[in-house]
Amino acid sequence: MSTRISIEELLRWRAARAEAEAPPAPRAARLLEMARPWWEIWPERFQSFVERLGRIQVAYGHAMAEPRQSHTGHPVPALIVRAVEELETSVRVLYLNVRDGRLRLRFQLDAATVQAQESFEVTFVSDKPERPLLSATAIFSLDGEYRIDTELSEELAHGWEPLKVTDRMPFRLILCSDKDGG
Amino acid sequence: MTDRVERLMSQAASLGSWGAVARQQGEEVAADAHFRKAFGLALEAANQATDGGSHPTRLDALQVAARFALDCGAVIEARRLMDEAFSAEASTKFAEEWMQLRDVTAWPDTWLIAAVRRDPPDVQALDALANRYWKSLFGRCRLLTLNHQKASDLAQEAWCRVLRTRHALKPGGNFPAYLTTIATNLWRDWYRSARRAGPMADHRLESLDAANPNEDGESVALVDRIPDLKALTPEDQTLLAMDIDNALERLTPQLREVLVARFITGESCAEIGQRYGRTEQSISGWVRQALREMKLQLEGASRGAAAKA
Repeated sequence: MSTRISIEELLRWRAARAEAEAPPAPRAARLLEMARPWWEIWPERFQSFVERLGRIQVAYGHAMAEPRQSHTGHPVPALIVRAVEELETSVRVLYLNVRDGRLRLRFQLDAATVQAQESFEVTFVSDKPERPLLSATAIFSLDGEYRIDTELSEELAHGWEPLKVTDRMPFRLILCSDKDGG
Repeated sequence: MTDRVERLMSQAASLGSWGAVARQQGEEVAADAHFRKAFGLALEAANQATDGGSHPTRLDALQVAARFALDCGAVIEARRLMDEAFSAEASTKFAEEWMQLRDVTAWPDTWLIAAVRRDPPDVQALDALANRYWKSLFGRCRLLTLNHQKASDLAQEAWCRVLRTRHALKPGGNFPAYLTTIATNLWRDWYRSARRAGPMADHRLESLDAANPNEDGESVALVDRIPDLKALTPEDQTLLAMDIDNALERLTPQLREVLVARFITGESCAEIGQRYGRTEQSISGWVRQALREMKLQLEGASRGAAAKA
């Protein structure tokens, strides 16, 4: 006997079976705990990173006074945080676009010695860093760039919409090798 | 109903309508403001009714106020009003409308999301929302990752992402679709990281953009295997699930995602195309290609099973 059955039906059947095998939903308390950003869990660590970022700004002050002669803009001070090391560097913003409440950003690490990795959890810090502006994942691309595509709060979207890639960026970056701040 | 109470309730109803319109249009700040004002007016009406109005009028006003409180995520205030109504009239505990208000699992998404947006988020509302969409989210994640543990991790991570930006949630939006999109984007990030180059590179998809004849859903002949999906033995169900998983695994991640989006989430080719920055025709071509590949795999598996039997 041969029965013809649509693949669509098979997929729906498979999805229903997967749903039936789903583990229990995580409890709200656990989800909220998991969703806590690293700077709330370790505020002292965050403060220390911010202070180091401030020092990078001084160290890169000369370079930041004049953007390099290219289509990219000012270097943005950045601190790379890994489990075994913290590295002061800067990133070069190659593309920045804010539209429909989303930020699309491409950047390159300036330090040639920095080993590329698949992704960073990027924390955007402002000049008044009581708390970060934003956190998003940057994915390493084939072109050797990191790409961010994330939703912005209404306030940030409104403030950043006019930004051009050649403008001085209103943020500095903490690049964590994982979401818990390294 | 006294004139004063009636006037307040009428004003509250108007504001509530404006709030609903604003919410539908995604203007959450305006919606929240309207619902808050409506809540204040309904509360005032309830107080006025306590002073000089009738008992049913007061209960009506309390219920309207509780609903507006939930519209703007003021869960504590809403629960206080429910308790007040119960104190005033014990039978409200068993009245259907009040029971629905008390039962957080019966709340519409708009109320749950409004409650989760607040600081601090309402834990009961979050539990209800997570439970409501967990299984369907997990099912999609399972089809994408083809692995139980990874599906669970992906679904949890999607929830974490949602909660990290919960203040930006739109109660009037399509929450399950949003959750699925977050999970899909995360999964895409994962596999891009894991397999940056290789078979799913864009150039391979370009070749699928070419027009293909017929967009009929493909069907597959599963020889001697499926008289009826519902009538399968547990063993056959397990084998069929494995065959489907194997067939899905042989698709490129993009094709798998497109297939899930098209047939499980129910997105149109145009909607999927918007995400990928491709035309509706391109996506339609991808879907057909995915169906053809699935068909080849499944028929191969079926023939293999029949030969062994």
